[in-house]
Amino acid sequence: MDRTQRPRSVLDSLGEELIGILTPVSICMFTVVLLVCLLNSDPSSSASFSSIATAAYSETDSDSPWDKLLGAFLNSLVFVAAITVATFLLVLLFYLRCVRFLKLYMGFSAFVVLANLGGEISVLLIDRFRLPVDSVTFSILLFNFSVVGVLAVFMSRFSILITQGYLVVIGVLVAYFFTMLPEWTTWVLLVALALYDLAAVLLPVGPLRLLVEMAISRDEDIPALVYEARPVIRDDSRLVQRRVWRDRRSSQNDDDLENNEVVNVVVRAEEEEQRSEISVPLIERSRPESSETFLEGIGLGSSGAIKLGLGDFIFYSVLVGRAAMYDLMTVYACYLAIIAGLGVTLMLLSVYQKALPALPVSIMLGVVFYFLARLFLEVFVVQCSSNLVMF
Amino acid sequence: MHRSFEIIGKVMTVAAGIGYALLALGPSLSLFVSVISRKPFLILTLLSSTLVWLVSLIVLSGLWRPFLPLKANVWWPYTLLVLSSVCFQEALRFLFWKLYMRLEDVLDSFADRISRPRLFLTDKLQIALAGGLGHGVAHAVFFCLSLLTPAFAIIALAFVTIHTFSMVIAFEGYAKGNKVDQVIVPVIHLSAGMLTLVNFASEGCVIGVPLLYLVASLTLLHCGKMVWQRLIESRNQSGPTLR
Repeated sequence: MDRTQRPRSVLDSLGEELIGILTPVSICMFTVVLLVCLLNSDPSSSASFSSIATAAYSETDSDSPWDKLLGAFLNSLVFVAAITVATFLLVLLFYLRCVRFLKLYMGFSAFVVLANLGGEISVLLIDRFRLPVDSVTFSILLFNFSVVGVLAVFMSRFSILITQGYLVVIGVLVAYFFTMLPEWTTWVLLVALALYDLAAVLLPVGPLRLLVEMAISRDEDIPALVYEARPVIRDDSRLVQRRVWRDRRSSQNDDDLENNEVVNVVVRAEEEEQRSEISVPLIERSRPESSETFLEGIGLGSSGAIKLGLGDFIFYSVLVGRAAMYDLMTVYACYLAIIAGLGVTLMLLSVYQKALPALPVSIMLGVVFYFLARLFLEVFVVQCSSNLVMF
Repeated sequence: MHRSFEIIGKVMTVAAGIGYALLALGPSLSLFVSVISRKPFLILTLLSSTLVWLVSLIVLSGLWRPFLPLKANVWWPYTLLVLSSVCFQEALRFLFWKLYMRLEDVLDSFADRISRPRLFLTDKLQIALAGGLGHGVAHAVFFCLSLLTPAFAIIALAFVTIHTFSMVIAFEGYAKGNKVDQVIVPVIHLSAGMLTLVNFASEGCVIGVPLLYLVASLTLLHCGKMVWQRLIESRNQSGPTLR
């Protein structure tokens, strides 16, 4: 049997889109865990992180658990309220067609994230590893890095690999800073955001749903920081071409000549410190049945790319980063839970074919697995392995 | 001066840690890179089988939580522990196989719909391998990676091998209804678990670990023989018609 003549099995390329979105999520989580392990090993240098999320209550070690819980609730309430206000503001601006202003503001916020947060983390890393870098070189490098990042995120016709890399970097930077929130606040905040996401996308009065409907009715793209998996174009000769340039659709362009694409978009605005990043939970472009799609049966269009909002990257990584502060076992458990949640969400997406919130399932599973691992698993495994009993 | 020693000490620990981790997971990493990373579906299978193993471990730890922590240096509760855990995991393995059969049907009908050939034997073996590797990697991560020492790494390597290849044997055994294969997998798992109990005796690990590796190599040999036989069978079946 000649190997090269054997027809390609169905297994060779199934599930490629899913891997295309799982890989950057995993890279983002892994980088945040790495940063947490590297930079938090020194307990004496704990910088207190004050932002809107700790405005109502800042946790100290001496409070009782009930106080901490109450404080965490207050913090999350304030944060979610701030996000709701910001999202409604976004809806208003989009309604008044101030799209240009939104794009400029997003470029500005991306620049601030890359320069400010990126600079802070770089300084921490330089301090930790004693790298010999002078301030002039450092500022030049940082400035260049940030400017290229802003261009990558907002210019169309930019190399898609660099764009994806910069989006992951932005996600990592923001997520690392969120992990510096106090512990109880982080967990309650994650749950609150998951619930908010659910409400904002699925309720008819939710701001994100309004935004989606407006975008669909005007056939426009919402200006947002969105991670787009590289779309794969297949043709009959079984050649797989990957789109190298990112194609940006704007209201002036006409549709693709090959297909009509329906873009369902969900946007969520987050506020942290003075910045706001617009991020999109989940979008699916579905292709019509007549086009040649290799994976039509499974329900995810092969040339349509799966899009995941940057906010989802950020909060998944925050959860895993917070788990890393406890133990590696919890990291692994939370990672698997989040991936499973993401898989479930994508399956639901292919069933329901409309905009879905990507946070709730993953965050809930992640939180559940974290507490199960911490309470049950650790005792069990340590008990067994400390006596070298394994199965 | 003190700072540089501290940094050197930290670096050496990091290197040692990476070394132990690679000791336990090196072969699985090479398996992953060469076989599994080429087909995205196998990566998904690996992730889902890891999840299944994690869930089984959580259920087991939930069941045993009231009885822990066990008294030190008393070994018979651990027998019960290992026995119950192995039974539960083998039952779960059977359920996993049932799920896989249904998935196979879906894939076959999908392949028919887009007029591509159905799953080859090597595809099925690769899926079983990915499933086993998932179990093995989960075992190594949970039992070894949090407490990185050479002893854990060496034992974890044996277990990774056992898990990976016994999954292949189990899937083929259940698929063909071969009683020998079906029985040998729980037996291997149980004996491997029991062998680690030998570590309780002082200097017990000198006997326990080589025996464990004996079991692992037996698993490897049996799996290799079985796969070889199957491949030859299928080649004989389909050989004349392919030309």
